[in-house]
Amino acid sequence: MARVVLNQVTKSFANQQVVKGINLLIPDGSFTVLVGPSGCGKSTTLRMIAGLESATGGEILIGDQTVNQLPPGKRDVAMVFQNYALYPTMNVYDNIAYGLRNRGTSKKECQVLVEEIAEIVGLTQYLKRKPSQLSGGQRQRVALARAMVKKPKVFLMDEPLSNLDAKLRNQMRVELTSLHKQLGSTFIYVTHDQVEAMTMGDQIVVMSEGNIMQVAAPLELYQEPDNLFVAQFIGSPAMNIVKDEENSAVVWGFRPEKAQLLAESAAPASSIEQRVLRGTVISREILGAESLCHVETEKGRIVVKVDTEISIQMGTHVQVIVDAANIYEFDRATGKRIGKGVGRVGQHALAGGMV
Amino acid sequence: MLQVGRTAWKTVEWVLLAAVGLVFVFPFLWMFLTAFKTMPEVYQFPPTWWPESWQFENFRIAWSSGPFVTYVMNSILVAGGILILQFLIAVPAAYAFARYRFPGRNLLFGLSLIALMIPSQVIFLPVYVEMSHWGLVNTLWSLILPFGASAFGIFLLRQAFMQVPDEVIEAARLDSASEWKIMWTIMVPMAKPVLVTFGLFSFIYHWNDYFWPLIMTNSDSVRTLPIGISMLKAAEGGKQWNVIMAGNMILVLPILVVFFFAQRHIISAFVYQSK
Amino acid sequence: MHKAVAAPELSGTSNQAAEVPIDWMERLRPYLYVAPAMLFFALFFFFPIGYVIYLSFFDWSLLNLEEMEWVGLGNFTALMAEEDFWQVLGNTLIYTVVTVGLGILLSFMLALWLNRKAKVYGIVQAAVFSPHIVSLVSIAMLWMWLMDPQYGLLNAILEMVGLPGYSWLSDTKSAMVSLILVSIWKGVGYNTLVFIAGMQSIPKDIYEAADLDHSPWWRTLTRITIPMLSPTMFFLLVINTVSSFQVFDTIYIMTQGGPVNSTNMLVFYIYEQGMDFYNGGAASAASVILLAMVGFLTWLHFRLMEKRVHYR
Repeated sequence: MARVVLNQVTKSFANQQVVKGINLLIPDGSFTVLVGPSGCGKSTTLRMIAGLESATGGEILIGDQTVNQLPPGKRDVAMVFQNYALYPTMNVYDNIAYGLRNRGTSKKECQVLVEEIAEIVGLTQYLKRKPSQLSGGQRQRVALARAMVKKPKVFLMDEPLSNLDAKLRNQMRVELTSLHKQLGSTFIYVTHDQVEAMTMGDQIVVMSEGNIMQVAAPLELYQEPDNLFVAQFIGSPAMNIVKDEENSAVVWGFRPEKAQLLAESAAPASSIEQRVLRGTVISREILGAESLCHVETEKGRIVVKVDTEISIQMGTHVQVIVDAANIYEFDRATGKRIGKGVGRVGQHALAGGMV
Repeated sequence: MLQVGRTAWKTVEWVLLAAVGLVFVFPFLWMFLTAFKTMPEVYQFPPTWWPESWQFENFRIAWSSGPFVTYVMNSILVAGGILILQFLIAVPAAYAFARYRFPGRNLLFGLSLIALMIPSQVIFLPVYVEMSHWGLVNTLWSLILPFGASAFGIFLLRQAFMQVPDEVIEAARLDSASEWKIMWTIMVPMAKPVLVTFGLFSFIYHWNDYFWPLIMTNSDSVRTLPIGISMLKAAEGGKQWNVIMAGNMILVLPILVVFFFAQRHIISAFVYQSK
Repeated sequence: MHKAVAAPELSGTSNQAAEVPIDWMERLRPYLYVAPAMLFFALFFFFPIGYVIYLSFFDWSLLNLEEMEWVGLGNFTALMAEEDFWQVLGNTLIYTVVTVGLGILLSFMLALWLNRKAKVYGIVQAAVFSPHIVSLVSIAMLWMWLMDPQYGLLNAILEMVGLPGYSWLSDTKSAMVSLILVSIWKGVGYNTLVFIAGMQSIPKDIYEAADLDHSPWWRTLTRITIPMLSPTMFFLLVINTVSSFQVFDTIYIMTQGGPVNSTNMLVFYIYEQGMDFYNGGAASAASVILLAMVGFLTWLHFRLMEKRVHYR
């Protein structure tokens, strides 16, 4: 078990820099998720930690050891790939045992270790089968078992659930989280799916275009985004962003679930400071218990999440009301958050209680 | 009316198919039938179709007319030796061409492709001179070594290795496998169908080869089966066709039997070159 | 909860830390892997090519390799002055043109006919292919027997249908025809199956589109099948031509170049000159000529292979 440190790490392919000098501490025993749109450099970062790509610049430490020069097999890490990458010509037992044998583990010990792991992931009766005779979920387990059996300091996972169907994915998500608790090792997990990131990670690293945008726990990431990118990337649907009328250097935003829809004539009843946008309902998507109302306002199109039970006619003139406490302000030029934390901390309990 | 026309046409087509098939198969059948006839029956005109009595004696005469055990052993040693050598040499080369980028790769691969195109008949003379300088003429080495590197094998294996997903290799690297070990324990097993295909091609080709052993050998101890069979003709004065055909069957039958069972593999092995 | 912090500053580390010292083993590895193959190619392929060109400038003999006399282009001019050699070249050319032309035409027609799913076609394909994997020695001897002028099956069949017997290998006029016949019989199956493989790689939807356009079969053939098969056809043309230049086994076993030199062709000529008459100069000069012919075809093949991309 070990922490992982990235110090000014860069990676260039040909003349293109895909990772632009990132600093990151991944604490020992954490479940860290690297998340971001495709091409943001998250997979490359993971592969540099694995040693499958060499860093162009900077330093990578696993534990207290600089590993830049070490080949993948000597870094004491294990990786689960998106396509499982099982050895198709070997049966399940040999797939799991391959890494042990390469390290010179004795035959007897191999057998004990493999059987123990197979028991944990529920593969005992499939040990003699070839990967082609297994279902997607079973292959995923073999890939996990192959990683676990080596008892690595760090587990690396590159979108391991993206090839599974939705139901199995949810199940594996829970299993991976509990596995992490059980093993207590460091997990580094790459995904483009923010839901996966938020539900599994205890530390989330949001990346964009080769840079780290924010490193935070899930709740903090949602409540206190550092910048416009994170604010829009985390949360579904994305945060509404509106230009500020008085100050052209600023844009402000609010989450669709933190706004109220009122009839045009209704007077805002609250004494709390609020902002009001006027507009017309142009469409409505029903998600289930909740619906998304698309409202054309004088400042652009806005999405508001409302209770599906509320009946709203198309073309109705409405007011969109947002409490000042739920407003985020950003510097228009840099995208940086303005006044982070000011005046919002006390509102959390209240915000949670309101629909 | 239309139905009748179709049936008639089908019948004609079946007759034609049978005729074409016979043109190619019947000579082998004739070889088989002749091999069992007696001398007087062979020299009967018009010929009989079916042997009057089955003469297994012809095979014994053919077999004992020369050191055929040695010929067969040499043929197996040569075709097998070539196959093993080609395998050992082609696997690393194909792996390097498929998985590494290195300066000069395209040049070296291009050179291999040229070797694929130019047949050995064109350069037998200088190779013979080379062999005689090394004192290897009339040894099994002179039959094996010139075919050690198979451009076709390298080409075929490279294609197979390129199809292995990168992730499988990366997984093996993370499993502490050395490059050498990845090559033999991951790549080679994954290329097994291609290896079987290539193995069949190479073995049949060299089992059948007549030209090279004819050039390189001049004593019975290193001659191969095709040479032995061709000498049957001279030994028997070119007249005892029943014995010659019996000897011929020793050479042909193993190949035809293998062809019967591994038809798909063999056809794709030979036809693959066209792709 | 873990708190995100910037990575701690590490003493004396900077970007240089990641500059990997050149790992010579990793750099050399691909070269080491291709080295054995290249060594064999060099020894048994590229060196001999150079060597035979070198040898062609000398008067030498396999009987005594120590004594070699520089004659410049003498071997070539001697060959050119030799009537026999021109006949050998002419024979090779006739044999090649007829074998390749007829062989490809026949196999193309066979392929059009046999390229079907039903099992019979597969069986006939295998039958047609079978001579290709049998040793030429066996085939040569088998056909000698079939072509035996007195007791052979072929003349028996001719007689059965009331035709006069043919002289086959024993006559200057018919020996070449006989060799060509054997060569086509052996090679047509390979060509047919290559054509069939080519036909099967033509996308089905092109034919479906042609059907929808009511294209008659002959137009589909000339406008779709033949153009789409042109790379295959070209490949077969080159392969067949190169292998026809190579013809040796059947000549050596069936005719020994005779009667009266009527079936003497290049490789057999080289063999005779070099191994039987110990005339190394003539043999190596003729080898160089053969090499140039094959080399030209190879070059042509590579050039046209690049154009092949157009169809894919």
